[in-house]
Amino acid sequence: MTGAIVKESAASPHWLKMVGARLANLPISYIGTAALLVGAGLARPALLQPFLLLLILRQAAPLGIAVIGQSLCIRLLSLDLSFGGVAMAVSYVLTSGYLPFSEPVLIALCLLLGLAVGAINAFFIAHLRASSVIVTLAMVLILGGVVTAFSQLRSPGESPELLRYIGQARIGILPVTVLVWAAALIPMALFLRLSVFGRYVDAIGANPRAAWASGIPYIRAIYAAHILSSLFAVLSAFLLVGFVGFGSLSIGADLALNSLAAVILGGVTFGSGKGGMLGPAAAAFMLMFSFNLLTSFGLGEPGKEMAQGAIIALAAIAYSARSARQWA
Amino acid sequence: MSLLALKERSAAHPAGRTPKVEFRNITKRFDSTEALSVVSFAGMAGSVHAITGENGAGKSTLMKLLAGVYPPDSGEILFDGRAIRFDSPAAARAAGVSTVFQELTLLPNLTIAENLFLGREPRRFGFADRSAMRRQAHAVLQRVGVDLHPDVTCGDLAIAEQHLVEIAKGAAAQADIVIYDEPTAALDAPGVDKLARLIEDQRRAGKLVFYISHRLDEIFRLCDMTTVLKDGKHVRTCPTADLTHDALVSLMVGRELARLYPERGAKPSTAEAALRVTDFVARPGGAAVSFAVARGEIVGLAGIEGHGQREIIRALAGLAPHMAGGALKFDRDGSAKPLGGSIVATARAGVGFVPEDRKTEGLYQPLSIQENIGLGMLRGASMMARAKIDRNRVRALMQQMNVRARDDRQSVSSLSGGNQQKVMIGRWLASGVDVLLIEEPTRGVDVGAKAEIYRLLRAFVDAGGAALITSSELTEHIGLCDRILIIREGAIVAELAGEEATEETVMSYALIGRPPERASR
Amino acid sequence: MSAVSVRRLGRTGLGLVSLGLPLAMFVLLSARAPDFFGLQNIANVNSQITALLIVALGQLVVALIGGIDISVGSVVSLTSVLLVLVDPALAVPAALGAACAIGLANGIGVAFFNVHPLIMTLATMTFVQGLALLFVSSAGGTAPAAVVMLARASFGGFPAAFFWCVLAIGVVSIILYKSRFGLRVFAIGANAQSAALSGAGVSGPRIACYILCSLAGAVAGIYLTGRIATGDPTLGQAFGLDSVTAIALGGVQLSGGVGSVAGAVLGTITLGLIANGMNLLGVSPFFHAVVTGCLLLGAISLQRRKVIGV
Repeated sequence: MTGAIVKESAASPHWLKMVGARLANLPISYIGTAALLVGAGLARPALLQPFLLLLILRQAAPLGIAVIGQSLCIRLLSLDLSFGGVAMAVSYVLTSGYLPFSEPVLIALCLLLGLAVGAINAFFIAHLRASSVIVTLAMVLILGGVVTAFSQLRSPGESPELLRYIGQARIGILPVTVLVWAAALIPMALFLRLSVFGRYVDAIGANPRAAWASGIPYIRAIYAAHILSSLFAVLSAFLLVGFVGFGSLSIGADLALNSLAAVILGGVTFGSGKGGMLGPAAAAFMLMFSFNLLTSFGLGEPGKEMAQGAIIALAAIAYSARSARQWA
Repeated sequence: MSLLALKERSAAHPAGRTPKVEFRNITKRFDSTEALSVVSFAGMAGSVHAITGENGAGKSTLMKLLAGVYPPDSGEILFDGRAIRFDSPAAARAAGVSTVFQELTLLPNLTIAENLFLGREPRRFGFADRSAMRRQAHAVLQRVGVDLHPDVTCGDLAIAEQHLVEIAKGAAAQADIVIYDEPTAALDAPGVDKLARLIEDQRRAGKLVFYISHRLDEIFRLCDMTTVLKDGKHVRTCPTADLTHDALVSLMVGRELARLYPERGAKPSTAEAALRVTDFVARPGGAAVSFAVARGEIVGLAGIEGHGQREIIRALAGLAPHMAGGALKFDRDGSAKPLGGSIVATARAGVGFVPEDRKTEGLYQPLSIQENIGLGMLRGASMMARAKIDRNRVRALMQQMNVRARDDRQSVSSLSGGNQQKVMIGRWLASGVDVLLIEEPTRGVDVGAKAEIYRLLRAFVDAGGAALITSSELTEHIGLCDRILIIREGAIVAELAGEEATEETVMSYALIGRPPERASR
Repeated sequence: MSAVSVRRLGRTGLGLVSLGLPLAMFVLLSARAPDFFGLQNIANVNSQITALLIVALGQLVVALIGGIDISVGSVVSLTSVLLVLVDPALAVPAALGAACAIGLANGIGVAFFNVHPLIMTLATMTFVQGLALLFVSSAGGTAPAAVVMLARASFGGFPAAFFWCVLAIGVVSIILYKSRFGLRVFAIGANAQSAALSGAGVSGPRIACYILCSLAGAVAGIYLTGRIATGDPTLGQAFGLDSVTAIALGGVQLSGGVGSVAGAVLGTITLGLIANGMNLLGVSPFFHAVVTGCLLLGAISLQRRKVIGV
């Protein structure tokens, strides 16, 4: 009896099941963005004007760039929550005038800072095997504390000219920030798809112990991911500082959590060894769009925070339930 | 001869007596591997019932169903004629099933007393009654004959002591059914005697004892009834008295050993070493070992589990640090590379490590066959380089290894154990290494796949490679290896040629460090 | 790995660092800061660390089972908000009820859906913080008089803070060392699979641990709100990481199974003394976060984990 049933289902068209499985495995961000756009079309059609959509895209660019680094870390089963601290430090270095250097030197200094923060994070995570969440949160405490202490001496001021241009100018109708986003995203996505590094990322994500036991340079991959992640955070902070026009201690404070939410929504999951770059990028847009929608409904910052929390929890639960079903 | 009389009595099932436990048409699958296939038999109260068969026959799986670790896919288990279903080990224990698992379940941070009563602590005013726990623990330890204080932390015990405590834990439970899963694997002779006395007591008390083992001597010494499983199928259940050693072996194996193992190659004429290990100390305070593996050779590290084979092969691979000495890997051009540094350097030196547990350490389960094998082809490439995975080569390898799969994009998790094992070895074949360090080359693999894996390994060394293996199956060492190094307490106590070795000599060296006193039967 | 560390440290996890650090701070401060031994200062330290101690004890329970709860700081904040918003008669039960619900959510996510505890509690941390801010956007309101009294009164010459500490230590000690539940917490933390095979349920105790931790957050929130007599929606922000720092300094292994109430207390005292010492020595309060961050990095570097990553 059971045998017959099994035969029957096996006989159902193969391609149909394949398509079904493909759809079920699609990142939530694609479906979510579509649903949001439709929802907004019904409730707040004004949000769908091309001009506004481009504006939202511009808002999403800093997040989208941070998401690139975050998704790399998460695919290696790590996590980088230090973006806020990095952004704060970058903003201070660039705008306080405390360091008497020219703009290019300051920008280079910021990149060096990103390199150092990423390397320190990686050292604690890979060599001392400390929890990445705690290491990177401690990094926020340290960076934030230092910057706050220093800003008692001199508060942040105007952003460098170059960054203000990048943050605010447009080419045609396209904001430059969006181009920067694309210029970071596309090469990175191609690199991960084609390089040996990309294969190693998948392998480590799928089974870190196996990757370790088969001699894949796990520790170097962690270093690469965290250094890249911090550098992308610096780049993201550049855009934010340029966009706002002046420095601020609260700049980029929600980058870390938003990027985490975006990566999870974008279909990158712990321990699957799967996940692309496009899903998280769409999720960055989706988050920004939903925040605008929330604002238009009169839910301010607290509403955003609650949405972030709920999204992270629900998406994590949804993926783990989904993978549990696949493994059963 | 009262013992024999007792055996006879319980062996002859009086008509109409309901079995204590009955398995009916039990089937259990893991992923796509059928671990148990329509198994039916019964066990009577007041008997010691051996469950035996080769590794991977399904013995432990069957007992784990009874212990509530997981449910059967189909079929049912009857207690005293009533169908039951456990959804947790706790439920099975409440129903009177006590299990001594093969893997240690003692918690290293708890005391002996706490471990013995975990999950059913004696209560007083709602709190754990520690003095009662200590008292009862003391009584149980005495009954088993273990001279340890109940307040000792289990993490501080030697492995053999931990196994005795594990056995005491099984005895501490109020149970009608006691399961022992390979309980003597890490016990010395006095330990085995203690266990034998305990089991005899339990049988006299009218309990049903299931005794999983593939050690024939123990089965004939302890058990009234014997059930033989093979490749997940029930072969036979009969009184042990009806069997002879040879009959039992042929039931378990059911085939000629010679057919399972490939012909050994011609002795390497020039002893061109591929691997030389010198004064290598793998664990703190351990003995130093020195040996070499030549091209064209499969060398086995044999011994009782826990005597250091695993530590040696893992330290050589660079997965764990070694204490002293060194190891060199020689390329074909004679240049030497040091081993035992880091695992990354090991792979770069052209040495592959195949772990025993393919699920946790070997394979990337969610990834496809192509990715799993392809990763081997990237060995030594720069991380910045373009990943070149030759799919035709992957397909050719799959065909050569006879991997049964839909295509190379199928995820590894959906393959049977044997095919997974082939993929894991295939990754290293694709990587171009010429030395393999292999733990348990065929664990949890069906017989057909075993033969194929043996052929693959033989072909690998015939093509100029060298392999060092560890295995818990003596027959595997004897059938497959050119030379067997027998490890006891971390040291090499003997070296035997594979052709000359017998189970008895290997076992004797492994257990007592010298050859058997009488010539083999 | 765990067997080795157990052998060296025992189940308590107390070692050189967890015992020596508070002692060294003590010696250092008594030598460098003359005011340190003043009765007023000691009372200050006591009241400053009380809330952290209560939270750290909750964090200890979760850590013993191999989990972590960084949402507990948000629970402190939400409690503070609820105390000034809800009718005084119902305020405390409401706060405790909310804490139970948060702990239950954390526990279910971790135990049933296998979400990594850091991710799960990060999510609830964010959500609950948002909720607190949604209710009240900045500090204000009046705490119930009874709560203020409980936090500020003194009995027999001892400040209330002292009794809060003693009570919290007593309750958690009884739970961990005297109850059957406590034993299972240690067992599951050491090896959940073995514990399950031994017939100890795993999911139930796990969820209970998260609920206990959230309750500890609520109790700390009640105490703190009483101290300041007003509601503050960001009152607890620092507690999530500070409590992890405290227990890690106290030798508690975040991988589970090893740790002690004494360790949590010592770790909290160390943190309290450092903060107090920085005050007395006139270090900018903004460097406080820097020092905590460095200590946190140092403390978790002492932990021996097998896994790399989250």
